[in-house]
Amino acid sequence: MQPTQDVQSPTTNSLIHDVRNPLNRISMQAEMVKLVLENDMPREKAIAALDKILVACQDSSAALQKLAEHARTDETS
Amino acid sequence: MSQILLVDDDKEFTDVASNIIEFLGHDVEVANCLEEAYNCIEFQRFDHILLDFMLPDGSALHLIDKLNTHDKVPFVTLITGHPSVKSIIAGMCGPTVNYLVKPLQREDLEQVLSGKSKARKKAKSSAITKHFDCLVGESAAMQELYQMIERVGKTNANVMLMGESGVGKEVVAHAIHTASNVEGPLVATNCGALSRELIGSELFGHEKGSFTGAVGRKIGVFEQAQNGTLFLDEITEMPLEMQPNLLRVLESKRVTRVGAVKDTSVDCRVISATNRTVEEIAQSKVLREDIYFRLAVFPITIPPLRERLADIPLLATAFIEQLNAENETNFEWQNAQLDQLKAYGWPGNIRELRHAIHRAFIMSDPTSNKITLPKNFESPFAKNQMTSNQVTAGQTIDDVEKELIRVTLEKVEGNKTLAAEMLGISTKTLYNRLNAWENQAQG
Repeated sequence: MQPTQDVQSPTTNSLIHDVRNPLNRISMQAEMVKLVLENDMPREKAIAALDKILVACQDSSAALQKLAEHARTDETS
Repeated sequence: MSQILLVDDDKEFTDVASNIIEFLGHDVEVANCLEEAYNCIEFQRFDHILLDFMLPDGSALHLIDKLNTHDKVPFVTLITGHPSVKSIIAGMCGPTVNYLVKPLQREDLEQVLSGKSKARKKAKSSAITKHFDCLVGESAAMQELYQMIERVGKTNANVMLMGESGVGKEVVAHAIHTASNVEGPLVATNCGALSRELIGSELFGHEKGSFTGAVGRKIGVFEQAQNGTLFLDEITEMPLEMQPNLLRVLESKRVTRVGAVKDTSVDCRVISATNRTVEEIAQSKVLREDIYFRLAVFPITIPPLRERLADIPLLATAFIEQLNAENETNFEWQNAQLDQLKAYGWPGNIRELRHAIHRAFIMSDPTSNKITLPKNFESPFAKNQMTSNQVTAGQTIDDVEKELIRVTLEKVEGNKTLAAEMLGISTKTLYNRLNAWENQAQG
């Protein structure tokens, strides 16, 4: 493998990765809601997808909190 | 339909993504780790693998190594949410490997699974203005039409579109609907295509059991077009005995479904269309006078293509741009070809022009950007009214001269030198005449 050229530390990269995963779920579930609405599919499917979006928002928030804490520790050290 | 393998350790993502991929028309298998992915590729052939870069039991590179030992290597799209590996992945990409960065959208999946890159999908932006999102042409005749559409769009008056076959009456109906900015849909039906027995049910709907074969309730087009626009094509082909029912709906704005006891209120603009002239309608008595006045509150006559020859290059370019976008080709017109198109009379109007361009597009070599135009455009169905008509009293000398030049140019496939020779005039005179008419047409 070639050495990475990213300037962030491995921990920062890992934390960014942890934010992107729930964002990815939000994006895909939102696409699912669009499909349901555009194609007259059962509304329960849309509600289930929206519930998952809400959970993923909380996950994103928690991951961002970790990232912020890590940044604060970096600044003080 | 392609066979897709989706490999990612995020189970919620694989659940929803596989639903979406199936909706896009593909078969999908899911693996949540490398071990499962190895099992899948051992027993099944895949066309495309969507592969998360970081997996709990190894990296995507291990799977790619394994795939390279197969006879037929599937296309691989690496998916990553990890910023540090983005640059590594980009360096690995080749003709059979590309990558996507999370968060993904449906459009991303559609693009990678259809094999089209984003750059290719984005069509070259066109310089042609589409008036009301659908009409092409800048000639004086079209400017007048746009003004009428703009004005009538602001009212709720019923419109009757008149014009020869192929001039684009349904497209103008779309333009009026767009200009109206109404909430409801545009619903179109062809009165000439419906049998006498079914026309009442199509227009006004029916209740379950109202006649043999009425197995359920049907909503008619008047109700479907609620708060929108109803386009009745070939209105003059509607049976005369059906016309009083139509008149009643137009007057009362209430519709009674066949077999129903109660009527329903309807509110929509009716745009009707015919290829007959007002004189023909009056003489042939195909439409009751009272219906005519209800439908033709605002009559619009759409000009035939021969009266707006200056628009042909714009229309031809718009058609070829559309075909290029649909087929990922880069065909372009040569000026001489556009002159050739302008020299023909197009008795079948825009429909005939579009058909000729489509045929030329199919005949052209896709490896070049040159369009191969046929030597002769004449369609066996398009009767050339002008050439079949002899000179009649009342025609102006200018009109006859114009027609003679048009027919001659058509005969020599647009070759102006040859046409001038046949007409016994200099090429310069011929050019002067053509330029003068073009300027006239552009207003």
